[in-house]
Amino acid sequence: MSDPVWGKWGSWEDAESCVGKVVGVTTAPDAVELGAIRRWLEPKEFDCALHTDKSAAQSAGYRDIIAPNTMAFTYGIGPYWAPEDGMSEPGYEPRQISIPVIFDVPAPCTLSFATSVEIEFFDPIYVGDQITCTSKLVSLVKKELRVGSGAFFKQEDTYTNQDGVKVAVAHLDIFRFNPPEKSKKEVS
Amino acid sequence: MNIGDPLPDIRIPITLHRLVMEAGANRDLSMIHHDTKIAQATGAPDAYANTFFLMGLFERQLREFIGLERRIKKIGPMQMKTFNCVGDVLTVKGEIIAIENGIVSIQQTIESDRGTTTVCQSQIFTV
Repeated sequence: MSDPVWGKWGSWEDAESCVGKVVGVTTAPDAVELGAIRRWLEPKEFDCALHTDKSAAQSAGYRDIIAPNTMAFTYGIGPYWAPEDGMSEPGYEPRQISIPVIFDVPAPCTLSFATSVEIEFFDPIYVGDQITCTSKLVSLVKKELRVGSGAFFKQEDTYTNQDGVKVAVAHLDIFRFNPPEKSKKEVS
Repeated sequence: MNIGDPLPDIRIPITLHRLVMEAGANRDLSMIHHDTKIAQATGAPDAYANTFFLMGLFERQLREFIGLERRIKKIGPMQMKTFNCVGDVLTVKGEIIAIENGIVSIQQTIESDRGTTTVCQSQIFTV
């Protein structure tokens, strides 16, 4: 774990050239289905008939069972393995969550953390929907914090269904940085 | 609904078992959220709950408050002040702070022995 690199490496010019641009498009590997919803509800001990009972959902004005609102995040994550990836060798590096402003936007930073997240909901996500998440880098603001020198990256994720209907929009603020000793050496 | 009304608390213990269930279900497989050694190597006391789980807890509290008919407009901005780790018992709290133009604004927090770990502002529709 010494000297970890967390994110795509590049210059500040590389990073700034991505502002205002789409930096990632992810189509969920699976359509929304009941088993995935149930497994999502379990660890939160979340009992809500909108997500399990079609007649209850219809009584509340929906045409079918809906996914929990914040489950949109889950449908913005791509597969962790696909046949074209081949077989893993011992000692392989496990793939972790892919956040475009960290892993697809180059920047001279080795570390990052999320500072804020919000999500607004529009149309419901129904069982059977196929969700796509389009990520845009909306801003980059350089900043010196106690943890090091870097920049705040704001990512906007627009979630749409198979008909192109917007179901949710999320904003994620990430601070990408170098710890103080690295900032002096590598960031000018 | 009136300004100052509290939402019913949610109390939930965090175990590694729960975090593993959550990672498998919400697909955030970052190892800091289910591997104690890796979490500790980054400075955390133990493996800790991820953003999707915390957002889901806030959604659960809102849903249990508003029932099936009303709709949630927005959850967040949510800020994590410190970790929600294995061994912690979380209490989700909420209170109505404004009602305006058909939208109810709610201040939500997560508390544990570490103090207020997470803060969140959410909105629901009045009808």
